[in-house]
Amino acid sequence: MKFYICIKMVPDVYAPLQIKEGELIMDADRMVLNAYDASAVEEALVLKEKHGGEVEVVCIGPAKASETIRKALAMGADKATHILATGDEEYDSASYAKILSAFFKDKEYDVIGLGKQSQDTDSGLTGSMVAEHLSLPYTTNAVGLEVENGNLVVKRQGDSGQEMIELPTPCAVTCSNDMNDPRIPNLKGIMASKRKPIDQVEISSLGIDETELQADTKVTSYEEKPARQAGKKYEGEAEEVAREVAQLLDTEANVL
Amino acid sequence: MSTILTYIAISDGKLKRSSLEVLSHCKSLADASGASCEAVVIDANASSFVDGIQKYGASKVHVVEDPIFKNHMNTPLLKALSKVMASVNPSVFAFASTEGTKDVLGALAANQNAAVIADVASFELIDGGVKAKRPVMAAKIMNNTEAKSEKVLVSVRSGSYDLNESLESAEVVNVDFSMDDSEMKSTLREIISASGDTIDLNEAEAIVAAGRGVKDEEGKALISELASVLKAGIGASRALTESGVYDPSLQIGQTGKVVSPQLYIAVGISGAIQHVAGMANSKVIVAINKDPDAPIFEVADYGIVGDLYKVLPPFIEEIKKIKG
Amino acid sequence: MEDKFDCIVIGGGVAGLAAAMTLARNNMKFLLIEKGEFPGSKNVSGGVLWGSDLNKLVPNYWEEEDGGWDRFINHRRLTFMDEQSSFSLDFKSSHFNEKPYTGVVVLRSKFDNWLAGKVQEAIDASDFAMDSFIATDIKVDEVIMENDKAVGIRTGEDEFFADSVIIAEGVNNLLTRQVGLQDKYVPADHMLTGIKEIIRFDQKVLEDRFQLNGLSGMSNEFVGWATNGIEGGGFLYTNRDTISLGLVLGLKDLREKKQKPYDVLNHFKQHPTIADAIKGGEVVEYSAHVVSSGDSRVMPKELYKDGILLVGEAANLLMNAGKAIQGMDYAMRSGILAAETIVEAKAKNDYTSATLKEYRKKMDDSYVMKDIKGFQDAVHLLHTDVMQNKVPNLVCDFGRQFFSIKNEPTPKSEKMLLGAIKRHSSLWELAKLGFKARKSL
Ligand SMILES: Cc1cc2nc3c(=O)[nH]c(=O)nc-3n(C[C@H](O)[C@H](O)[C@H](O)COP(=O)(O)OP(=O)(O)OC[C@H]3O[C@@H](n4cnc5c(N)ncnc54)[C@H](O)[C@@H]3O)c2cc1C
Ligand SMILES: Cc1cc2nc3c(=O)[nH]c(=O)nc-3n(C[C@H](O)[C@H](O)[C@H](O)COP(=O)(O)OP(=O)(O)OC[C@H]3O[C@@H](n4cnc5c(N)ncnc54)[C@H](O)[C@@H]3O)c2cc1C
Ligand SMILES: Nc1ncnc2c1ncn2[C@@H]1O[C@H](COP(=O)(O)O)[C@@H](O)[C@H]1O
Repeated sequence: MKFYICIKMVPDVYAPLQIKEGELIMDADRMVLNAYDASAVEEALVLKEKHGGEVEVVCIGPAKASETIRKALAMGADKATHILATGDEEYDSASYAKILSAFFKDKEYDVIGLGKQSQDTDSGLTGSMVAEHLSLPYTTNAVGLEVENGNLVVKRQGDSGQEMIELPTPCAVTCSNDMNDPRIPNLKGIMASKRKPIDQVEISSLGIDETELQADTKVTSYEEKPARQAGKKYEGEAEEVAREVAQLLDTEANVL
Repeated sequence: MSTILTYIAISDGKLKRSSLEVLSHCKSLADASGASCEAVVIDANASSFVDGIQKYGASKVHVVEDPIFKNHMNTPLLKALSKVMASVNPSVFAFASTEGTKDVLGALAANQNAAVIADVASFELIDGGVKAKRPVMAAKIMNNTEAKSEKVLVSVRSGSYDLNESLESAEVVNVDFSMDDSEMKSTLREIISASGDTIDLNEAEAIVAAGRGVKDEEGKALISELASVLKAGIGASRALTESGVYDPSLQIGQTGKVVSPQLYIAVGISGAIQHVAGMANSKVIVAINKDPDAPIFEVADYGIVGDLYKVLPPFIEEIKKIKG
Repeated sequence: MEDKFDCIVIGGGVAGLAAAMTLARNNMKFLLIEKGEFPGSKNVSGGVLWGSDLNKLVPNYWEEEDGGWDRFINHRRLTFMDEQSSFSLDFKSSHFNEKPYTGVVVLRSKFDNWLAGKVQEAIDASDFAMDSFIATDIKVDEVIMENDKAVGIRTGEDEFFADSVIIAEGVNNLLTRQVGLQDKYVPADHMLTGIKEIIRFDQKVLEDRFQLNGLSGMSNEFVGWATNGIEGGGFLYTNRDTISLGLVLGLKDLREKKQKPYDVLNHFKQHPTIADAIKGGEVVEYSAHVVSSGDSRVMPKELYKDGILLVGEAANLLMNAGKAIQGMDYAMRSGILAAETIVEAKAKNDYTSATLKEYRKKMDDSYVMKDIKGFQDAVHLLHTDVMQNKVPNLVCDFGRQFFSIKNEPTPKSEKMLLGAIKRHSSLWELAKLGFKARKSL
């Protein structure tokens, strides 16, 4: 099976951040591979190990995103396409979905895997947009993948339970990080990744009109969350504090 | 006159409260802007929900009823939503942010060439579109996002708005719908349900959530007992859903569900940002953790530092006493 | 062996990165392994990087607006504290505005990561662009020894081979001990713990408060009341829009006096001088790290052995003599010298002690060993009770009298000084101290 996995470079949510006059200031060096995409890569690698095939990653991003691509290659992906962006564009999920769809238009593949959401913005839109643009069968929020008789069988997490869905190929699927623990590249993988091919592609070569990529949505500013009043910590003899807090929930917080 | 349309989700044969929260908000936006407030319900028994919907102010309810909607499948749902959207032509189409919504929202936007803002904490109308607040960076901060388009889709986190009844006698519009088997792009093989009688976490007034500190059957039994005394739903951190101790549907956090009950009791949960992202909007948070430096205490109103196996039994007993 | 490296560098701190940069520039095939998620992710320094070696590694580094460094030091201050007062020696000089700067303040998680990026650029420009690596998130478990010569390293199941290994693992010198260059047991009285808070301000507020101009910065060390009776000292450095405020405290003393580092830091922050300095700031980070006392009595047995060189704090290259903590500059210089020695070893194709002992010689000839040997007495002196408590109290007592103006006859300052000395020490003790200090500084 031929897997294309869409991977995104995102800011590390653990990196210190601050907001100044509505602008978000973060260390530009602290970028990571989106955790959900790492799960998608992992799952594709497992399926490739079982059934054979090829895993190629696709990333739209600035030059620095090559580090993110290397990470996926070090995990074991076979090759990569880097669709170059300057990083200054104000793209939203719809813009990325259009670029990805244009890239996939003339490609052959069985499965396009994506993350279920970007861990910095939690949008969760790109996957189903790509599927719609390419008229592919798809599912979202996969927590398990299997290949059976050339079809993709997806276990998806729904609102109250899980659904087993069978998709003919080619198809698209967005992956939850609850699916697996992505492998941490070992040193041999890191070394091998350097020799794996990264195809660099300009957006302009994909035959899309720049104006079409202009985002309909725009982040106008950032702000702090309304702070939660830090509460009180009760330390001491378990029995005593347990009863004390139970009482307070009734008399003070009024939630019993 | 423009239309604000709300999608009413049905889950396990019930109106999803989070959809009605969104409808309540849309009703007030419609009233303030002179728009018409309409709703759409798509289900195998869709028409039976009209009464419940008109209580929250929809002046028109579009009903798509077909057996195919018995279980969630994205192909028919997307077809129905596209059809309703094309005929109603709403300026704003609002959803509660459920897994069902997330499954189709992007595709619907692409299909209808609409702008979309997902998973917002609040939104309002602006000239030419919608302005919303969204939690980002694992909900550490918020951003303000604007969507300018003739058609804007927006999905709203549960618990963002209060329910607000305002009875209308809604006009019911039955939408013709049929779907050929050949149009189905995928097959639903099986539904693996979580154990039947669990309380919907999005709607629970109280939640007891278990984390890795809950190590064994004894711990699980304490969690169940506390939940039953409080008539609370049971939730879990990823550490416990991942290891199969609790059903994955019960996961709370960035990957799991976003909840905002009156009372949230985190037991043996460290308070990683991705977990907190899903529960920080709870009204009162209690944390029980043996590590006094656990980050969960930074968001807890009441923090009990102690071993859950020692704290829970007297805690449960005391609550039983209070509840009489 | 085809994929054997010329050198494997263990640790991506200042020492390891300096070595790696030098190796890359000299067209060597090497592997640098860092256990942190990214270089600098685990590193804690105050920290001022003193000296001008950075300019050797990254020429004209100051031209990068958003480089790895925060501010250059042109204002230094040493403060003696008692409970209510502080008495400072203050030195500011436009001389220090000249480039290369004599010291730059750095935040390690940013600086190390930036420097690693520069090393990567050097790798890319070398003949071994495809064969040299910086690998992160990987911990070296063992140096592989054959006939008491290092031949490679092991991480998990994987083994990698090289003609030489540079150990730059920092203060937790497990591998240094494994290869037998350090005793298994380092006594606690030679260990200190460094704790630090990063406190954020509006940049303008910070610049006004500390009289900073452009990217100029201040370093301030503290002795006396700051440490609440624990052996050690305090520091305050200005970063771009934050300050680093912290203490370095003797582990043994902490243990004996049953104090927690964090409580001592809070004590320090309550001093009126510090309270004024940090007012309105927001603590955005807290970190702690062990640091050696820089006492030559715990120096490793040797800095080299067959196939191995020891650099930076792994070699206990550190000085903590009151006027500043120096470790990063020594780490940097030792990394450079070690890598240069490896380059020579490759030319001779001899990686045994016969060649590697050149590193020791280079170190002995450098300011690093001269400093460390020369200032040993100062290090010992600093860690005495007289210096830690009596002198600061005395100085502050004198200062309080000297600067107070009361409506009564003012005594001569000599009398004030004598009074202060009697209250806190004795002339005899101070004479001894002065004599020792004159010898040691
Ligand atoms: C992209 C991404 C998305 C994620 N999404 C989610 C999500 O949706 N939901 C989620 O929960 N996590 C999520 N995580 C994982 C998250 O980062 C944490 O790993 C997880 O929440 C940890 O679960 P925990 O607190 O139960 O376990 P731990 O972090 O291991 O904490 C266990 C706690 O129990 C305490 N404890 C142990 N024994 C006892 C005892 N006897 N009595 C009292 N206390 C005790 C310990 O002190 C500790 O604080 C996500 C991670 C990523 C990267
Ligand atoms: C609070 C504090 C304040 C200080 N202030 C100053 C100051 O102002 N000025 C100054 O010059 N110095 C200061 N120092 C000292 C300075 O931090 C050290 O001297 C310096 O960091 C030593 O550099 P290094 O490269 O030898 O070691 P480190 O910086 O400790 O780097 C060692 C690296 O090796 C990695 N590592 C360790 N073991 C392994 C392994 N097995 N496998 C892979 N990687 C491994 C570590 O993760 C680390 O990144 C301060 C120290 C402290 C604690
Ligand atoms: N710039 C990008 N390059 C490659 N894939 C992307 C990009 N942006 C989004 N995606 C894919 O879309 C998913 C996230 O969608 P969203 O949450 O809408 O941003 C990611 O997990 C990726 O799989």
